[in-house]
Amino acid sequence: MEQATAQAPSGAPKRDGMSTKAKFFIGLGIYVAIAILLLLIFGSDGKNEEFKPQNEFKLEPWISIHLGSLDLSVNKAVLYLFLASLATIFTMVWIARRMHQKPNRVQTAVEVAYDLTKNTITGGSLSGELARKWFPFIAALFFWIWFSNMLGFLPLPTNTEHTFSIGGLEIPSFAIYAATANIAIPLVLTLVVWLSYHVEGIRSKGLFPYFKSWLPPGLENMSAVGKGAIFVIEVISHFVRLISLSVRLFANILAGHLLLLFMGGGLAVLLGIAALGALTFPLAFLFFIFEVGLVATLQAFIFSTLSAIYIGGATSATH
Amino acid sequence: MDLTALPLAEVTDEGVKGAGKAIALGVGAGLGSIGAGIGVGFIFGKEIESVARQPEMKSELESIRWLGFALTEAVAFYTFIFGLIAFFLS
Repeated sequence: MEQATAQAPSGAPKRDGMSTKAKFFIGLGIYVAIAILLLLIFGSDGKNEEFKPQNEFKLEPWISIHLGSLDLSVNKAVLYLFLASLATIFTMVWIARRMHQKPNRVQTAVEVAYDLTKNTITGGSLSGELARKWFPFIAALFFWIWFSNMLGFLPLPTNTEHTFSIGGLEIPSFAIYAATANIAIPLVLTLVVWLSYHVEGIRSKGLFPYFKSWLPPGLENMSAVGKGAIFVIEVISHFVRLISLSVRLFANILAGHLLLLFMGGGLAVLLGIAALGALTFPLAFLFFIFEVGLVATLQAFIFSTLSAIYIGGATSATH
Repeated sequence: MDLTALPLAEVTDEGVKGAGKAIALGVGAGLGSIGAGIGVGFIFGKEIESVARQPEMKSELESIRWLGFALTEAVAFYTFIFGLIAFFLS
């Protein structure tokens, strides 16, 4: 910091008084002092037993549909699923219908995203005919997960457990939820990817050569027992992909929503300490920016990139 | 071995149970974050190093960096989620 001021070209006079560091610590001290003061004024109400944070993610059946033992009830996850699908279809069709030679801002943004899915995600691991064949699938994955994640940070009136009324009209409370914050949906996406890369591998190499290609190269001189042991490890690694791919997306989104819930007041309510809310509320903003700006896009990117890598790995000649 | 002979296997006290859950969440999420933190720091450090050596590789390294970042960062969330499962759902 001192160096920066010394090198300033205009020779601005060095402000006397506090350095940035001192200002930062004084600000932090005031911030903590306010929280302590609030704690002294309002005190603690003791632990709140009624508030159950896990209920924020509970799926209340809105329209009950039961087929035997199968529960197909429509709940808020289904709503988010449809919203994300509609947003994906609508945006892409709308942009494709009114393409302009001189693109406006929305078209530019969608073109950048399209370019990302085509060149970076698909083009990075697949090539030629295979890339052309799988690009729609991978791009659809990317856009659907992205819209789903982004809708998850938009408060929508979905919490039917708690309602408030405007002019006698009962409106469900605004809550945030995402289709991808429910393990079922990332798991289904993962299963589709998992099955399709195996099918693509078998189609391009044949049934037995495909399973043989799971063995890494350089094992020609190994005994059959050793090869068998390595094959078992490879089989396990293929099944672990099911867990890692689905849980990564689910855990990121769920943890993001939980952090927002706790920082935005849930922790203060749960522990019954109102002053804690003053400390954690600014953090909620930071986490919100982090989630919307980075995690939502990054998880969509990771999911589709890994899908492309898996398909590429199943069809490539070496491994 | 008969597990019920161990004093640990027979905890019926609600307070002890709650404490165990809290420790599971705190230690699980905390230790998980340490590993992921080291990993994320490593990725960005190495990326800065590589760009400093070969600035013309910057655009190619960018997507690899985010891939590595997200893969590593997810580890922290795995522990966090399992801690939450231990805390709220058990």
